[in-house]
Amino acid sequence: MDAFKSLVIILLSSVFVDNYVLTRFLGICPFLGVSKKLDSAVGMGVAVTFVMVVATAVTWPIQHYILNSMNLGYMQTIVFILVIAALVQFIEMALKKFIPSLHKALGVYLPLITTNCAVLGVAINNINEHQYNFIQSIINSLGVGLGFMLAMVLFSGMRQKIQESEIPESFKGLPATLIAASFISLAFFGFGGIIENLFK
Amino acid sequence: MNKNSNMSIFLKGLLLENPVFVLILGTCPTLATTKTVIGAIGMGVAATAVLICSNIVISLLRKLIPDSVRIPCYIVVIASFVTIVEMIIHAFVPTIYELLGVYLPLITVNCIILGRAEMFANKNNVAKSALDGLGMGLGFSIALVAMATLREILGAASFAGISIPFLENYKIKFFVEAPGGFLVYGILIAVVYKLTHGKAPYKKEFSCATCPSAAYCNRGNCQPKEEI
Amino acid sequence: MIKNLKSVISLTVICAVISVLLALTNDLTAPIIKEQETAAVNEALSVVLPGGADFSPIEIDEYELPETITEIYSEKNGGYVFKMQTSGYAANFVLLCGIDKDGVVKGATCISSGETLGVEKDYGDTLKEKTNETIDDVATVSGATKTTAAYKNAVKDALNSFIILNGGSVDLRDEAQILNDNLSAALPEAEGKFSPVFITEDIGDINSVYASDNNTGFVFVIGEQFVATDKDGKVKTETDLKTTVEAAAKAIINSHLNEIDITKYSDMPTQVAKAYKTDSGNYVFELKAAGFGINGDKYYNPSGEYIDIKVSATKDGKIISCLTTAQKETDGIGSACADEKFYSQFGGKTEADYSEIDAISGATITTNGYKTAVSKVFTAIKILEGVS
Repeated sequence: MDAFKSLVIILLSSVFVDNYVLTRFLGICPFLGVSKKLDSAVGMGVAVTFVMVVATAVTWPIQHYILNSMNLGYMQTIVFILVIAALVQFIEMALKKFIPSLHKALGVYLPLITTNCAVLGVAINNINEHQYNFIQSIINSLGVGLGFMLAMVLFSGMRQKIQESEIPESFKGLPATLIAASFISLAFFGFGGIIENLFK
Repeated sequence: MNKNSNMSIFLKGLLLENPVFVLILGTCPTLATTKTVIGAIGMGVAATAVLICSNIVISLLRKLIPDSVRIPCYIVVIASFVTIVEMIIHAFVPTIYELLGVYLPLITVNCIILGRAEMFANKNNVAKSALDGLGMGLGFSIALVAMATLREILGAASFAGISIPFLENYKIKFFVEAPGGFLVYGILIAVVYKLTHGKAPYKKEFSCATCPSAAYCNRGNCQPKEEI
Repeated sequence: MIKNLKSVISLTVICAVISVLLALTNDLTAPIIKEQETAAVNEALSVVLPGGADFSPIEIDEYELPETITEIYSEKNGGYVFKMQTSGYAANFVLLCGIDKDGVVKGATCISSGETLGVEKDYGDTLKEKTNETIDDVATVSGATKTTAAYKNAVKDALNSFIILNGGSVDLRDEAQILNDNLSAALPEAEGKFSPVFITEDIGDINSVYASDNNTGFVFVIGEQFVATDKDGKVKTETDLKTTVEAAAKAIINSHLNEIDITKYSDMPTQVAKAYKTDSGNYVFELKAAGFGINGDKYYNPSGEYIDIKVSATKDGKIISCLTTAQKETDGIGSACADEKFYSQFGGKTEADYSEIDAISGATITTNGYKTAVSKVFTAIKILEGVS
């Protein structure tokens, strides 16, 4: 029961409290670049969540059973980025061949994910910072992905509003978007400490 | 000024093509490591070192690397320099290592570095590539330090860890937290836009032209066509 | 094909060259990093255990230690440094505590916390030089009770672990757990679920009575003894307390409450919300006491911050038992009125020795409101008994 509770806490805190985009600034590029429309925000969010979970499922065993046992911990970055890049290519090919409809929906976002720092970030953090076990790592990656999607979806709604407003010339475009991001980040800031206290 | 002179290659990174404020590259480390000036300097120096080294190596290898596998090759080269820099920082300046945490290995996916490899180093000779790396790296560092100075003074009433006594009671913690990062970044982009108006190849949105992922993607799908 | 082969070869060569480069750098930097890390750990640990040297982590899975302990380092002089993770006001409250070879706390510090650091930053200093016997003398800090209590309990855990590491054994159960274990031992049928019985009859030396939640029986606590009866009040195992317990059980089981219409008594104190008379002639009162934030003697406030109290008393004005049934006082301060330690003081008191009740520290208003309300029981009994 306690194990289950800790998984729920990990999931909820990675979605709300420790939101990678809004509190850790990982994955900002797609957050700002692909959040203009709701459907693209959802598509990107699903693709990122999927890749994060798969990447964690692959990198965690690599770190623990190959790199650590051979004393090659310092190869972490290089191995992870190659594995993620290869994985993304592979997923794209597999989707194209076996589930063309899904490929049509997600395919365009997949190549962008290789250099998404949130994916590499969550793979590294699961091992170095949190030192989660395999199940916890998967749950954390799922939560981070969902948190990313939540932020994207909320933000795409906000951007529609910005487009309709009058903004000073210098602030048009990205500056206004970033300031809007500041507000939404401020809103997520309010989640701090809430999760642990939910389960007291 | 001759567009291809060495001087202009070096200088363009500082303001007119500043990677942070004009090209809008490397947003993640820009926001994440500018809580403190020390962290910003650490990130700036580390990224500059990686950028110069990777630019040199990629420029050297530009004729040897087959076009079809160039992106994986670039990534390997960049990741290895990142690892080397990471190990050196860990060994000699552990405080910076602690401060930067996961953002240090994440220099690998910093778009500036892959972007310069793809846009500059694989088309130019070694000397020019090194100069470009230095200029871009310095531009990145200056931008980080400028932003960190603002955030640290406003948010923590200190500069590079040295507290400023008369501001001690007027800290606005907002600025060193995540939302403050977004706000300061947005305002600084607007200020740079005002200063360089009409001169900089101003980019207010992410476009395929400067996106390092464009190499794989090449479909133009990531960028919605309409302008704001 | 040749083109593909060229791609594969060049990528492989680059990877190979780079691996060699990385291995070389690693060989150069690894020893320095290692040295640095040990130095950093030693420095951090000697803050809480001055004079300690040669710290080395020990395997904690081999011992049955309190849950808060996450890491332990041994030191060459026989001392230990404990790293604890607990939760105070927020979760993830990480502490370090150094204990020397004699079991004396040499230092405690908070290394990370999700809380706004105030008093707790220096609270560790007040725990210095304390041992397992003397640590309970240190008070928590009012205004940061939750955090400082967590702090103190974590250091207590470290002291207990110290005993365990040295081959001793420690009862790690808290008071509620010990009570529940004792009750379950007396009445296993209850499956560990008990509720206290509110006593309305004068039952002599019996401290308290618990009923099993699944209605299988009662447990009577007399001094250190736990005596179980079945649901009809028959003692389960023979004991010399049989007569006392069975008499008490009979009184409790047969006791019925008959509500008294208090509106008939115009001079009834306002604090009395409801009154009952038992078959044996005792009284039970439900009281509403003025808590913190309510002005003076007035017990009622539109915002409704009163304390609910239940009191039973004999008809000649002796309180049998007292219980706080609901309260919304400030957490960590006035909330102590819900502690058994506080309300059980009222048991056995009469109007004559009523002033001996101890106040709740730091909560004068709550204490006064509570005492005033309970004292009205004596007035109420006089009215109901018709004594002028």
